[in-house]
Amino acid sequence: MTGTAVALALCAAALSVLAACGTGDGRQGAEPRGDLTLDEARAFDELPLVYAGELVDGLPLTAILRRDDTARYVSFVYGDCRPTGGDGACAPPAEVQVWPAGARNLDSYGSATAAQVTPVPEPTTIRGLPGAFFDDGRRLEIYTPWTTIVLFAHSRDHVLTVAAALRCLARAPPSESGNRTLDC
Amino acid sequence: MSRPIAAAIAVAAVLPASLVGALVCSAEPALAHFDAGDAYTHSDCPATASNRVDPVNVVFTGWGTWGRAASQIETHAGWDATSGSTQFFADHGGCYSLHAQRASGEGSRFHVRLRGQHPDPTLGWTATGGVHHEDLVFFPAPCGHAVDSNGAGGSGFDMGRAELELVFAAAGHAVERVWWGNTQSFRQCDGDYAASDGWTAFILLHQVNH
Repeated sequence: MTGTAVALALCAAALSVLAACGTGDGRQGAEPRGDLTLDEARAFDELPLVYAGELVDGLPLTAILRRDDTARYVSFVYGDCRPTGGDGACAPPAEVQVWPAGARNLDSYGSATAAQVTPVPEPTTIRGLPGAFFDDGRRLEIYTPWTTIVLFAHSRDHVLTVAAALRCLARAPPSESGNRTLDC
Repeated sequence: MSRPIAAAIAVAAVLPASLVGALVCSAEPALAHFDAGDAYTHSDCPATASNRVDPVNVVFTGWGTWGRAASQIETHAGWDATSGSTQFFADHGGCYSLHAQRASGEGSRFHVRLRGQHPDPTLGWTATGGVHHEDLVFFPAPCGHAVDSNGAGGSGFDMGRAELELVFAAAGHAVERVWWGNTQSFRQCDGDYAASDGWTAFILLHQVNH
């Protein structure tokens, strides 16, 4: 083996090690991923999950995330984005998070004395349920008896489009949209 | 949520009236009010929902100018590196570049970006920040620093906030958490997603730097 070949081989080995170190688990790809498959989410029994289907407003369901640490929720991410720069990130076009009502609700935003340091809710009613807009309409929280459904999108119109598409996950076959109740 | 709702304490209750009065009288900031309306940093201006990058999860109050915040982060946390990309903060409808950033190193590290904001009659001088722990990721290229995804100890955003809370509380600063609910997920350059758990730390700074 020539010196150049040896150097190339060493570089390749080093790059492989760096790749494994960088992703933490040896994963090579950069495509969005999640913690749960749709089938696993459908079988999830800790919360009555709702989602916006596998396609909403032209955006495919790209990841299902599960948190059970300092926060507790299941998240459905719609659409994709590409981080730019060396240490940037990006906001997916839409997201639906389902929290236990006891962990997140309108009372989470505190009392009137805290108003100046907390976001101010804009009360509304969504599909017969109490809700509140935040972030100038780019975040909507819907308060069901058991869960708080949190929607993020790039505009109020998109948030409302996603809200209109919400359905119970456990009852919905992959491409079925008939059952639109949020009483899951 | 393990933290009870009662823990979402108003910072106004933390600041004694005498201190607030002293701040207002002696510092004489151009008083407006603190703007908690946009709880994210942005990759560009104008600030929109589509160019959000990180959650804002720390606010320095009292003598919380951006310079004091940077100085006291260096002192208490030992974060003296200044590398990192520019991000932008929204305040009262405007969009402004960060004032400073500090990090614990150049590789995998803690990192915070800071922007001085409007002084507030109750809170005093304020600076907001986006703090996180991030890994140095080489592949897929182009990558770089990626905030740790959600895990058993919380996300990189939660770990960064917790680290600042820990070191400032140990140094005698009043530290409280306020619920902001800014839990939107952000895709990182390694393909993972990271989100804040929705709590923002309010850290009271004193006038004298170290």
